Amino acid sequence: METVLMDNLWVIIGTFLVLLMIGGFILLEAGSTRMKNAGHIAGKTIFTIGIGSLVFWAVGYGFIYGEGNWFIGLSNFFYGDTTFAEEGLSPAVDFMFQMMFALISLTVAFGGFAERAKLSAYVVFAVLFSALVYPVVAHWIWGGGWLADHGKQDFAGSTVVHLTGAMAALAATMILKPRIGKYNKDGSSNDIAGHNQVYTALAVLLLWVGWFGFNGASTFAVSDAFFGFVILNTQLAAAAGAIAAMFIVWAFTGKADVPTTLNGALAGLVAITASCGFVEPWAAVLIGIVGGLMVYGSMRLFDRAKIDDPIFALSVHGTVGIWGTISTGFFATPELSTGMEWGQPGLFYGGGFEQLGVQILGVAASGVYAFVVSFIILKVMDKVMGGLRVSEEEEIIGLDLSEHGSYGYPENIPHPSEQQAR
Amino acid sequence: MEYDEIKRFREQNIHKQKDYSELNTFHDKLIKHTVEIAMQKVEEEQGKAPAPFAFFIMGSAGRSEQSIWTDQDHGIVYQGTDEEKEYFLLLGKEIANGLEIVGYPKCDGKVMASEPMWTHSVENWTAQVDMWLNEATWQSLRHFSTFFDSRVIIGETAFLDEIKKATFQHLGSDPQVYKRLIDNVDFIRKGVGIFGQLLPEQSGPMTGHIHLKTTTFFPYVNSLRLLALVNHSFSVSTAVRFNDLKDSYPFLAEYEDQFERLLEFRYLFTKEAKNYDEVHYVSLNKLSKSDKQELKQFMKSGADLFETTKSFIEKECLSW
Repeated sequence: METVLMDNLWVIIGTFLVLLMIGGFILLEAGSTRMKNAGHIAGKTIFTIGIGSLVFWAVGYGFIYGEGNWFIGLSNFFYGDTTFAEEGLSPAVDFMFQMMFALISLTVAFGGFAERAKLSAYVVFAVLFSALVYPVVAHWIWGGGWLADHGKQDFAGSTVVHLTGAMAALAATMILKPRIGKYNKDGSSNDIAGHNQVYTALAVLLLWVGWFGFNGASTFAVSDAFFGFVILNTQLAAAAGAIAAMFIVWAFTGKADVPTTLNGALAGLVAITASCGFVEPWAAVLIGIVGGLMVYGSMRLFDRAKIDDPIFALSVHGTVGIWGTISTGFFATPELSTGMEWGQPGLFYGGGFEQLGVQILGVAASGVYAFVVSFIILKVMDKVMGGLRVSEEEEIIGLDLSEHGSYGYPENIPHPSEQQAR
Repeated sequence: MEYDEIKRFREQNIHKQKDYSELNTFHDKLIKHTVEIAMQKVEEEQGKAPAPFAFFIMGSAGRSEQSIWTDQDHGIVYQGTDEEKEYFLLLGKEIANGLEIVGYPKCDGKVMASEPMWTHSVENWTAQVDMWLNEATWQSLRHFSTFFDSRVIIGETAFLDEIKKATFQHLGSDPQVYKRLIDNVDFIRKGVGIFGQLLPEQSGPMTGHIHLKTTTFFPYVNSLRLLALVNHSFSVSTAVRFNDLKDSYPFLAEYEDQFERLLEFRYLFTKEAKNYDEVHYVSLNKLSKSDKQELKQFMKSGADLFETTKSFIEKECLSW
């Protein structure tokens, strides 16, 4: 009984830690963008969390974990289970923990909206993503859907949370088009620097700590203290990602770029999210290094492809989310896969190509679903709402003023008495 | 003749110069004509100049190392007191406006004879240079280095020489300033990466271009300026400084040729630049494999030259 209570306590602590990651995203997005959009970008994160929470309660959880079919769950809507289980997690604790993942995925998706989407676009897409995009992928892998039947390994959500969010971000970025001033007529790209690297660095630290809950509490239990091992892998991958990214950007450009280094740490975290419960620590280091190297290459490629990704959500959560998921197909050990009745060992542990194939299938199917459905939703919204993007004038004065009527940094505008005096 | 006519003459002929040396003679000619017109205009409005004076150019113009496009860096020195300053500031303003019309953008850093800091009597110039060297801050030494690469275009050469003589006296009594002057130019922007690859701009309109001035040119120019200061040399252009100093510093011989070739290289690859912003950049796309190798060699030699110069001067300064 005591162990059950401790399991519940551990997972609810994990819930708090993951919710705190939203604070990390607020700082990350605000720091990576310009001053004139800071209040907007912070505030919208809070209210879309509100929307996402209610939608998850109403239908999201039911679509993921309800009784249903290979594609979607269809019960447990408007969740309100007050029971307490003698074994395993209490339903409400489990519900809360799962909700946090949906909120993180939604926040990742909004990275693609940054600095140019209307507030109303956030509102509508928060509802539709939380109901129609995330729950379907989560059902496939975690809710007993068709990919779960194949033994797809995604310990804490490289695919479910990060790739799904990033694919929605990609759709949004493509439809919204680049920010004003991002690309020159000759096709060259300008660096629109974020206004506060300290925010961005603190964001990474906050996310990093939060990730201990994200991955650690995904063990759902404390009895064998396996969470310690999961957190060890998480730490190693994040550390390796940061170092690898700083090295590669320095090697290629001669400058130890700070935003790239920070993205490297996040890449390590995203990469290890799928594999943290399946691989040995040396593999976690390698997975983090590859994540850190990939994030730099991916940032460059998206930039060259004229896909303007202000927060680098596509690279950090998308490209690296794919790598993280596939990595278990290489590195999953027999003890941590078949030994736990969760998929097969990876290629390097004699598992052959079976698990690798499952991982690739899972990534491809989930990625395509999330992208296509998000793209359709956003295209329809675009038509119905008369465009997703603010006007050129609004974009130039900044979304703080155009969408909310006040600056995040009020020193930027004259005091009303000064305005009158003019 | 009016400014517009000089502008037209400039546009018609600037691309006809066959090398950087001809190009710099051409620039000097244009600047001289422009200043003469400005002098005439001010004379018509304000009367004759109240004192003998010299108009000098500084920086890359002073060193005769200008590219196709170049901004303004100039000053005035006159014999007399502060009473005459107003006249020469007006003249400076007219010159700056005239040069702008002719095709030399005004200097962002306001290093122009129209500014009170760059127009003085001989006495006040000497005092100002003394002050720069005494302060020895990053900014004051930047001003000093710009000033030291100066050359008279119109007027009494002796005025400028007098100030430089006083400078050498100051440096002789306070050799520690050399250390600060080295620090002032010690940062060399990296042009070659760990894999031996060139490091072009990563973003903005000049993406894929190398900033030739900061990555390649500066180490040569700064090294020779430092050696000229230590040796109390009045020569201004880097090429002439090489020639004058190589007997005292035999190691210079191997870099002299590199620098000459670098000047030609820069002339060849920047002569199509459309404006002053572009003129410091070389597009990697335009470089052949051997051009790139040569550029890397320029960078490497420049860095070596600077390091060698640094250690020579540090040794010499410590021995004083």
